[in-house]
Amino acid sequence: MIMKGQKRKLPPEDMEDRSSHFWESQRQFVFSVSLNKYQRSQELPEPSLRRSVLIANTLRQVSLEASRAPSVDWEVSQSHYSSPSSLLALSSVPLVPLSNMSNCATNVHLPVKDEDEDWGSMSMDSDFSLSASISSILTALDSTMDAGPRTPLRSLENLSAPFEGGVAGMRRGVGECGDQQGECRAGSSYLTDLTVEDLFQDIDTSLLEKDMCVLGLRGGASVASDELLRYLPPLSSVSASQPFPFSLNQNFKCLPSFSSFSPSSSSSSPPLSPPFSAQNHVKEGFELEHLMEILVES
Amino acid sequence: MGEDTDATPTLNHRGFLPDHNYVTEADIISTVEFNHTGELLATGDKGGRVVIFQREPESKTEPFSQGEYNVYSTFQSHEPEFDYLKSLEIEEKINKIRWLPQQNAAHFLLSTNDKTIKLWKVSERDKRPEGYNLKDEEGRIKDVSTVTSLQVPVLMPMDLMVEVSPRRVFANAHTYHVNSISVNSDYETYMSADDLRINLWHLDITDRSFNIVDIKPANMEDLTEVITAAEFHPHHCNLFVYSSSKGTLRLCDMREAALCDKHSKLFEEPEDPSARSFFSEIISSVSDVKFSHSGRYLLTRDYLTAKVWDLNMESKPLETYQVHDYLRSKLCSLYENDCIFDKFECAWNGSDSVIMTGAYNNFFRMFDRNTKRDVTLEASRESSKPRAVLKPRRVCAAGGKRRKDDISVDSLDFTKKILHTAWHPNENIIAIAATNNLYIFQDKLNSEMH
Repeated sequence: MIMKGQKRKLPPEDMEDRSSHFWESQRQFVFSVSLNKYQRSQELPEPSLRRSVLIANTLRQVSLEASRAPSVDWEVSQSHYSSPSSLLALSSVPLVPLSNMSNCATNVHLPVKDEDEDWGSMSMDSDFSLSASISSILTALDSTMDAGPRTPLRSLENLSAPFEGGVAGMRRGVGECGDQQGECRAGSSYLTDLTVEDLFQDIDTSLLEKDMCVLGLRGGASVASDELLRYLPPLSSVSASQPFPFSLNQNFKCLPSFSSFSPSSSSSSPPLSPPFSAQNHVKEGFELEHLMEILVES
Repeated sequence: MGEDTDATPTLNHRGFLPDHNYVTEADIISTVEFNHTGELLATGDKGGRVVIFQREPESKTEPFSQGEYNVYSTFQSHEPEFDYLKSLEIEEKINKIRWLPQQNAAHFLLSTNDKTIKLWKVSERDKRPEGYNLKDEEGRIKDVSTVTSLQVPVLMPMDLMVEVSPRRVFANAHTYHVNSISVNSDYETYMSADDLRINLWHLDITDRSFNIVDIKPANMEDLTEVITAAEFHPHHCNLFVYSSSKGTLRLCDMREAALCDKHSKLFEEPEDPSARSFFSEIISSVSDVKFSHSGRYLLTRDYLTAKVWDLNMESKPLETYQVHDYLRSKLCSLYENDCIFDKFECAWNGSDSVIMTGAYNNFFRMFDRNTKRDVTLEASRESSKPRAVLKPRRVCAAGGKRRKDDISVDSLDFTKKILHTAWHPNENIIAIAATNNLYIFQDKLNSEMH
């Protein structure tokens, strides 16, 4: 019953609200399920590529549709994200295609001091960060074959370049099985935690502490992001909603196996006998985790 | 089809492991394939074994009793392997079996797991030489002094023995999981397809292969599509088709370029905007593609439908058949329990007039392209007795009108899925793999294709 003088609401708008609420709840459901699925598949030794690609595409679509519908209830979406996902997802950064974001994507899961204050501005960012986390999920794909400018992997990329050339050469004619072997290792690390390597290349805690201040900044997005990348490489491709120490532990699981193919995978770390290196890595890893916990608490 | 009495299938049940009540994971059948004459039927399982069934010749005493399939040979095709570089175990599950056309007395088949393809020779031995001079009957060396006369060894009949031996091993060519193999009509080459690449092999050469399709992006972050199935054209040895996870089919001509990344034809149905959902892409992912025997049509299966395409029309399929549309409203839960990722196969009958595909609850569906009639049948021990006629089943949507014996959507068993089916090349005999059981159904009254 509409009172005199009161503006009538357009019926279609009403319906849209209702359906968009349902749509939003479905979107969130799909998002959370997809994220869970992706994480669980990452824990598997060798996840199915088709499945992972389909889940990643669904995640991407879900996040894109969310950003396309700003009338959606942000309260709902905020409560869903328990911790801010990415510090690179700043309000000044425009929505860019995922491929562009991939280079500046990071999963630095370090919460900022004034996260609650900035939550308002972060609300739009949550989807950028989502895109960022999705692209960083895909970043873990075959990182050694990347030609991207990510410093921590540079040595690795140089090593894998001959393989890349070999692959190209193979296309024209005969394929050597040997090359395939080399590529085999790098090629199917679509979902392996290659970022474990990153951990050990940059365990320089002094730099980390210095950059804690940088993390508090909200402006100067791209510059800060490059700096961050140098010192805080993508630690894992685990989603936004996962707390940091957890994702580190995930990385630790594959430490022994990673070191077992160290000769071609890393030029900087000396080849160690597997049990020794595993212990070493785990020890360093725990130190880092401890450090991160401190940072989180602060 | 279906309710007509002149084409009612009868059941000729051969349980794969009839005495077992439990399902051993290793016994789950992962592929089924008739050979080119239909005389042999090969199945591969998760444990890396291949079992070949042979059809008994029709007995003259019972002219209406068609030959039944009995076990001909069993062998271990693939063993679990360990990839030392990646610290990963390579599953021994047989993903696909393809028979080679028979050229001599022996039969050849290709079987593949995730990484390695093997060529097996299946031959019979029913004679053995007897009457050696230097060896006695048990094979022991005779004392030369006891040999007083020479004899020529003769071939004597013996009990039939089926020998299986690996003739070729095609290894180390796939970084990703092999999902398809297809023998070319030139009978000299075949292709193997994994998630991102397709390789062309010569059957006699194992240490090298040609890469003919590579959809791996330079930056793996840009990966959004994978290859799901591939097949050679049945007659034109230069043409092949491959399907993708985005629901597209690409027909490629190997004469155009060494690397067939650029397709000759792209078959894609434009998306219906009204039916769009979060799962549109997942359910459009093509799980199987098969050329018709004529070579004129393509049959594809995605999650909810089976489509027949005309090679001459790229814009949309010729026919679309709803396999289990009642699942459309349940996609959310099917996504959650992973069923949405199930890869169902599809099959043509010998005359390309009927298509068949599997579904859940041990149901499988057949669609007659001419009469537009379809039938749902069940492959289960409880509902089928040997020689009994299969009863058509019906799934009613929740809340719909329910007849007796109807199954409601909510009571479907999603763990019982018919992923692998095969149709005899000439006759109306079908093989259905239901988890660890193999069912073979024959159309008793109309054994010849029509």
